[in-house]
Amino acid sequence: MIRRVALLTVLTVHLAAVTATTVNAKDAYIPILVPITGFIALEGTAQRNGAIQALENAPEGVTVTYEVSDTSTSPEVAVTALHRALERGKPVAAAASIFGTQMLAMAPLAQRAGVPLITVSGTAKLTELGNPYIFRFFPGDGVVKVAHARYAVEVLGAKRPALLYQTTSYGQSGQAQLAKILKDLGAPLVFEEALAPSAKDMLPALAKLRAAKPDVILLHLHSGPTALAIRQAREAGINLPVVAGSAMHQPSTAKLLSQAQLSGVCAESAASPISESDAKLVAFTREFRTRFHTEPDAFALAQYDGINMVLAALKDGANNAEQVRNWLASHTFEGLAMTYKSDGKGNMAHDALIVCYDGASLVPTIVKRYHNVDGAL
Amino acid sequence: MGASIPQLLVNGVALGAAYALIALGFVLVINAVGAVNFAQGDLVMAGGFVAVTITEYLTPWANDNLPDLAFIGPRASAVGLGLVILPLTMVVMAVLGLLFSALAYAPLRHRPPVSVFISTIAVGLILQHGANAVFGPEPRVGPPLVVDGNFALGPITLSIQQLSVIFAAGCLITGTGLLLSRSQLGRQLRAVAQDPEMAEAIGISAGHCIAITFALAVALAGSAGMLLSNQFFVAPSDGGLFMLKAYIAVTVGGWGRLDGAAFAALLIGVFEVMMAAFVSYVMAEALLYAGVLLVLLVRPSGLLRETIQRRT
Repeated sequence: MIRRVALLTVLTVHLAAVTATTVNAKDAYIPILVPITGFIALEGTAQRNGAIQALENAPEGVTVTYEVSDTSTSPEVAVTALHRALERGKPVAAAASIFGTQMLAMAPLAQRAGVPLITVSGTAKLTELGNPYIFRFFPGDGVVKVAHARYAVEVLGAKRPALLYQTTSYGQSGQAQLAKILKDLGAPLVFEEALAPSAKDMLPALAKLRAAKPDVILLHLHSGPTALAIRQAREAGINLPVVAGSAMHQPSTAKLLSQAQLSGVCAESAASPISESDAKLVAFTREFRTRFHTEPDAFALAQYDGINMVLAALKDGANNAEQVRNWLASHTFEGLAMTYKSDGKGNMAHDALIVCYDGASLVPTIVKRYHNVDGAL
Repeated sequence: MGASIPQLLVNGVALGAAYALIALGFVLVINAVGAVNFAQGDLVMAGGFVAVTITEYLTPWANDNLPDLAFIGPRASAVGLGLVILPLTMVVMAVLGLLFSALAYAPLRHRPPVSVFISTIAVGLILQHGANAVFGPEPRVGPPLVVDGNFALGPITLSIQQLSVIFAAGCLITGTGLLLSRSQLGRQLRAVAQDPEMAEAIGISAGHCIAITFALAVALAGSAGMLLSNQFFVAPSDGGLFMLKAYIAVTVGGWGRLDGAAFAALLIGVFEVMMAAFVSYVMAEALLYAGVLLVLLVRPSGLLRETIQRRT
């Protein structure tokens, strides 16, 4: 027993020494602090994969070390992960959680430490806090929800939209934006209901939704709940058109539904790598599939672009966190998904698109692109 | 809204029936070892993934060897495959239960109950992270018990899967009740649960009985996992939700009471669905916890009092 304890102690000390050596090297250090377990693990894993693919393809002359920490689903774990990363070295930037609740908790610490957080979280409030160290590479709700609402009203002709959204900060942020934009467009919500991420049986909400006689269903839910809502709506005979949040563009969400259930389903997103025919995006998708044995989504691509912009800053001579922050705040970057430029608040992405499923394929088609929605470019 | 009430009731009963299977396993372990099994929810999740895996292996075989039933539906070759997958899932999960007992309980058998429940928390975390590593974070769809789809009964649309879940859960709950009350094995399991030392004194192996109890509890959790995975998908992070519902069912039903746990689980399923339909999801959850507090205040021993009253 004593020998076992001694052996474990030696192994632990050895591992700690190896980790310290890795992080203390002179290379630029970029920790990846994302949720790879818990209810948002799907999106967090896409983020991780996108960041890793960018870091593994760092431009010549730029040497980067990175490590991945799971932030799970609680703000405390995310803050602890950032604390640890700061203790291990001086990061030039960090890939940070897609989960808005965690970002709101990490933001003050990042500001005190002077480390830019590169995120794809859509929570609108994140860039309204006046924190100069937040850089969001996925269009915020102020952009995607405009596309979401405008497509429902202007293209589908909706006059009586109904909304199901998540009780999380992500859900509440999207609900607030959608309610306001739809009212401005002359099509106010006739029904709305908040669902906890753990809600499994959506029929109660769908029964109330049907009673409100909407002409389109809007969803602002995470991946699993989005698929559950669409499936249960179709099974209950509710065959209204659906315009869902960005979770629905994810290939893994589409896989949960049959082609018939996907008929009439559209989704807002920043990008849809698997739908694109551009050579650079095709190459990105091919490498992603080979490396991670899964399909890339817009979150992976946005995080890939975000980390690539940090790498571009390093290549351009930025050699500490403050210089990287200044570079991100002042430069325009041509990413694979779109052109990124800060609007002065850290919102880097200003385009959105709508994809739709035709009921015959699990690969959606891009049906409408909305460029420079917030006029920041 | 009125036309949806029968379907809502069916959904509530189906959800409650699945919760009942989870709660039964939970009570069996509490009775056998006197400690709460905090891995029960993650075992439900594991059951879902076992069912998904078995389906992936069996479906190609079914497509090649079973008659083409294309007139029934798009996944017609798999019609009824769930009836094979359910017992297979339970067998695999029963083996996992034996392993669970041997690795997480037996070494701590003579330690205070707190050691056992910490050990079950560890098992739950291992299962959750193991599922994440093996299957990935994305939700998966499990097999239907008989067939996907609905049928219309006048103006009402009923889900075949939900009705199948109610039927299967009813059979499993009744079977568990009969096993424990009518068979010699059941009498031995109950004897060990009531007084392991006295049971040992009359020649019953308490160790074996406890291992069998774990196997039965985990198999029931696995069956719930399989039954829920079709309608509600299965993801590595699902365990916590099921654990919470089982815990509430056991608390409301009465610690140690199998019938109480099953009854309370059904009540919770129907309550959740109907409250969500007529008030809101947020209020449904709040009212559920308020109800639990009320039961604890008015009737601390639960709706059905524990016969021996060891813990209440």
